[in-house]
Amino acid sequence: MKKNLGILGLFAVVFIVTAVANPSFINAYNLENLIRRSSLYGIIGIGVSFVIITGGIDLSIGSVIGLVGCALPWLMIKHEFPVAAAVPLVLLLSLVIGLGHGLLITRLKLQAFVVTLCGLLFYRGFGRWLTSDATMGFARDYEGLRKLAIGRIPLGELPFIGRFNLPVPFLILLVLAVLAAVFLNRTVYGRYLLALGRNEQAARFSGINTTAMVVLAYVICSVVAGFGGLLFALDSNSIQPASFGNFYELYAIAAAVLGGCSLRGGEGSIFGVMIGAAIMQLLYNSINLLGIPTTLEFAIIGAVILAGVITDEIVKRIAAKRRAVLQARQAVV
Amino acid sequence: MTASASSLAQLLEVRHVTKRFPGVTALSSVSLMLGTGEVLALIGENGAGKSTLMKILAGVQEPDEGELLIDGRIERVDSVQTAQRLGIALIHQELNLSDNLDVGANIFLGREPLKRGFIDRQKIREDSTTLLKRVGLDVSPDTIVNRLPIGQQQLVEIARALSINARVLIMDEPTSSLSTHEAERLFEVVKDLRQKGVSVIYISHRLGEVRELADRVTVFRDGRNAGDLSREEITHDRMVQLMVGRDISQFYARKPHKAGDVVLQVDGLRTQAHPDHALSFSVRSGEVVGVAGLVGAGRTEMLNVLFGVDPAVAGVIQVDGKLCRMSSPRDAIAAGLALVPEDRKQQGLVLEMTVRTNIGLAGLKKNQKAGGFLNDAQEGRDSAAMIEKLRIKTPNERQIVQYLSGGNQQKVVLGKWLSMQPKVLLLDEPTRGIDIGAKQEIYLLMEELAEQGVAILFVSSEMEEILGMSDRTLVMHEGRITGELQGEELSEEAVMQLATGNVAAAVAG
Amino acid sequence: MKRLSLLLSLLLLTTLGCSNSSQTGPGGGTSTGGGDNAAAGPKVAYVTNGIASFWVIAEKGAQDAGAEVGANVVVRMPPNGVEDQKRMCQDLLAQGIDGIAISPIDPDNQGDLLDEIAQHTNLITHDSDAPHSARKCYIGMDNYSAGRMCGQLVKEAMPDGGSVMIFVGRLGQANAKLRRQGVIDELLDRSEDSSRYDDPNAGEIKGEKYTILDTRTDGFDFGKAKAQAQDAIAKYPDLGCMVGLFAYNPPLMLEAVREADKVGRIRIVAFDEDEATLQGITDGAIYGTTVQNPYQYGYKSVEILTALAKGDESVIPEGGFINIPARNIKSDNVADFWAELKRLTATEKAGSPATEESNAATSEASATEATEAETDAAVKSESATE
Repeated sequence: MKKNLGILGLFAVVFIVTAVANPSFINAYNLENLIRRSSLYGIIGIGVSFVIITGGIDLSIGSVIGLVGCALPWLMIKHEFPVAAAVPLVLLLSLVIGLGHGLLITRLKLQAFVVTLCGLLFYRGFGRWLTSDATMGFARDYEGLRKLAIGRIPLGELPFIGRFNLPVPFLILLVLAVLAAVFLNRTVYGRYLLALGRNEQAARFSGINTTAMVVLAYVICSVVAGFGGLLFALDSNSIQPASFGNFYELYAIAAAVLGGCSLRGGEGSIFGVMIGAAIMQLLYNSINLLGIPTTLEFAIIGAVILAGVITDEIVKRIAAKRRAVLQARQAVV
Repeated sequence: MTASASSLAQLLEVRHVTKRFPGVTALSSVSLMLGTGEVLALIGENGAGKSTLMKILAGVQEPDEGELLIDGRIERVDSVQTAQRLGIALIHQELNLSDNLDVGANIFLGREPLKRGFIDRQKIREDSTTLLKRVGLDVSPDTIVNRLPIGQQQLVEIARALSINARVLIMDEPTSSLSTHEAERLFEVVKDLRQKGVSVIYISHRLGEVRELADRVTVFRDGRNAGDLSREEITHDRMVQLMVGRDISQFYARKPHKAGDVVLQVDGLRTQAHPDHALSFSVRSGEVVGVAGLVGAGRTEMLNVLFGVDPAVAGVIQVDGKLCRMSSPRDAIAAGLALVPEDRKQQGLVLEMTVRTNIGLAGLKKNQKAGGFLNDAQEGRDSAAMIEKLRIKTPNERQIVQYLSGGNQQKVVLGKWLSMQPKVLLLDEPTRGIDIGAKQEIYLLMEELAEQGVAILFVSSEMEEILGMSDRTLVMHEGRITGELQGEELSEEAVMQLATGNVAAAVAG
Repeated sequence: MKRLSLLLSLLLLTTLGCSNSSQTGPGGGTSTGGGDNAAAGPKVAYVTNGIASFWVIAEKGAQDAGAEVGANVVVRMPPNGVEDQKRMCQDLLAQGIDGIAISPIDPDNQGDLLDEIAQHTNLITHDSDAPHSARKCYIGMDNYSAGRMCGQLVKEAMPDGGSVMIFVGRLGQANAKLRRQGVIDELLDRSEDSSRYDDPNAGEIKGEKYTILDTRTDGFDFGKAKAQAQDAIAKYPDLGCMVGLFAYNPPLMLEAVREADKVGRIRIVAFDEDEATLQGITDGAIYGTTVQNPYQYGYKSVEILTALAKGDESVIPEGGFINIPARNIKSDNVADFWAELKRLTATEKAGSPATEESNAATSEASATEATEAETDAAVKSESATE
């Protein structure tokens, strides 16, 4: 929690500024939207943080989302697969993708960047071919399944913001986050991941099966991305194979990095990743609500994230200096 | 040769040079002379100060005291560029070539001749051809360096040194990675250069080479001059005497161990580094076996294969009489082995993690609770026990290992393995780079473990450690076990003879 | 399931097998009808500005025309903007082509590409014009007047005035600019002047009855397009009307309005004939849509390129503009229009009357049917090329 203070502060600043500038920001409807979007991106952010913790990278997330996003309606609408078959099938597909990445990276010793970059291109092209590039959707069917993404649970009247409904994706995010945090911090496998992310060799010399753990990280990442793709598809209900999920890997990676994952590996906080994802969506939302021209949005998001990372780095340095001074004193004593 | 060298004016003179590093005096008032067209061999044990002097001559480091004279004039060699201007070139043990570039580009790297702002390829090609001819290398300057065998790459390095008109060529262990044939080729080139008036400082552990090449030998020991030998005096035994020749300290007073049953039995083990040589030996419970040898003798490779880090080419490993396949460190740990690796920071520790986490790292799986959950309590108990037992100096168990001293870091590595209660403890240079107090603590710990019945196999390049700690010593040379010394036979001379490949002399001694 | 088995066989055949089908582009390249005479006829290309259901209809028109006049039709849909479009056109030129009809994404700055095409082959524009290029003619509608027609729909939907948000994928291309200007000028009752331009970053544009609050662009990112509609609903609680200028905008706007439970309170005026848009009109959730005639864009483009390829320049009219006028579709004529659309995009060969298609456009699941029809056609054409 402590190391996420910086990003939490950034979140609070943007939140408060927007709320003051435009009161409709904190109405229930907008907050629901914001929470839903943040949750969707948070989910894929958690997935990629596992890979980043091992010191790897997964650039194919957006394309996996695109592939699952169009494979799902393709199976369900075009081939009339039942939900109970289609959903496991697409999740299995993403599992196979993750397994492929992991094996290529660990067994053939290919670079993760290269493997997943090729994945980015391959899955996108494959999805487009599969669906003939036709825009897909569920029309007005599958309302039940779509509740996973667009469902809302009424919480009644809340102070300041009125009748509030909790978006279902937020609950999914919470469950996933708790599972991920427990896995990472309370199980031996999580410890393995953190150790090998810092120093793969030392982990191997300590008897850790680093190969299996790295493969596991890529599998987790792809399966979570596939699950995210399913939710994104159910949310937007209009899936264009050529563009659906484009660049989402960058949102996910940015969220993970903002949340304290080091691209050098070995560091990561699930809570931070959730906040990181929320900041990105908060910024988009603020830009719209404050009436800032759309054309400026990338510039603003880039600048704010950079500012956040710089602040974080400065805070870390000050802390390190303090610790050094403290240690010097202890040594003298 | 000797006559001509002494009659000529001294080309290079080192006068009373001292170099101190924090905590160590690497060189203490050493002197050295080199005549024009002379081949001077510089020998000494690891850590005797040879490399430090070479770095000073090549301008990489500056001496704290003393002076360098070239052509009788005092010169300040404060940078590699200055050294090159003065005609001193250093050829490192590890070659410094950009092996993705061609030969010509490497020879003129950083000093490319230009023509209208562009690299003058034609000139590079012509000049390179001339230089390559001088070192007797018959390849095109356009050949990419990594296509050449290692011996020819070495000649490219020499050609590069000649391209700056080097008068003094310093060669640091030039034959360490060459085949016999390649080495002979190199000797020819060195002799030829001498003929042409180039002086060579030749550093080598291989006393045979020294005998063949050197006009004169200077021996260093503990950062001091230990003696000089002229051409006629150069014999294997004289050199070894000068290199060692000191008392073994009282540091290692120890009780004799009562060795039990064989715990580790190795038969016909072949490593990838030296597949031609089969290694066979055994270690008994409660026995401390030292592995001596020079750098590159294949000792670390042997431990890594035993511990499953690298695959074996062939061979059988038995622990407690049971056949074990060591295909990963996991297998080795399961069989009861533990390895304190040579490279503590890269292989022994996760530096950014805490003392406690590092101590617990190997035992995570063993101690896990149902469902793969961490056993925090056990980890806490283990780390507290190890911090106390090994007297690890740390503010608390949550300290990041990076901020500990080398000795304490090494104790953390030991703690990690002791908490696993291994049957066989493999130690690779266990006291390298740590202070004297921690060293002794580690020796005491080895004693204690041996008493408890742990079989210990330790690799060391420190002669005193080998002599002082081991019940039995295996000596390795170029991938082979050249001998096994025990009791009375175990002497510095004997180890040195075996380590330099002189089996007959060792047996005689 | 055809595609599943095709997929397996393709995996076995690996790249060689599928390079053929992917070369011809989505939905099949060679004409479905006139297989034999097409092989001998000219090869012409129809290049869109992106991927949308709108272009699927245009593609159908192009293929039908190809079968009719005996041309080999290649359809290219660049997914990633200008660079992609350029690459595709240059590839076409490299392969050798007898004419290209293109909807330039950024006509003002794609001069080089257009010149390059014109130097090598016959160039015409469709959907979006590039008047300063060497194109032989432009097939399309006057986007400015279409925009004004769309503005008319807004006026009808909200006769007492109110606030309006405009959503569009990109404002860089001429058709988007002109449509937006048409809507604004109509709502402000300005005179007809297509050269007028209100800066989209300048904020609110206030008229007597209508206020245009803002124009948001999404760069063809569907997720973002929906998010922007949601944000607009959040920001303006009394928003009167949303106008979506690109085909995919209205369905996403509708999703957002439905989720916010504001169907009827926020009126939606659309452009183009996305299935979901037509369904929305049928359901009464969308007031109306201004439709172009993409089928005719495709059909005319191929017809004219084929004639030009055969040396017949007489097909080019005076002024170089072939007008395919826009229409407004509302609840009263949506059923007929949709039925017509389905007839046009039906799987049967062009020319054979699709009598089996009922003209009563039952709303139920028609969207899925249509999608299936398209993909089936695609499968057929691809199997044919295997």
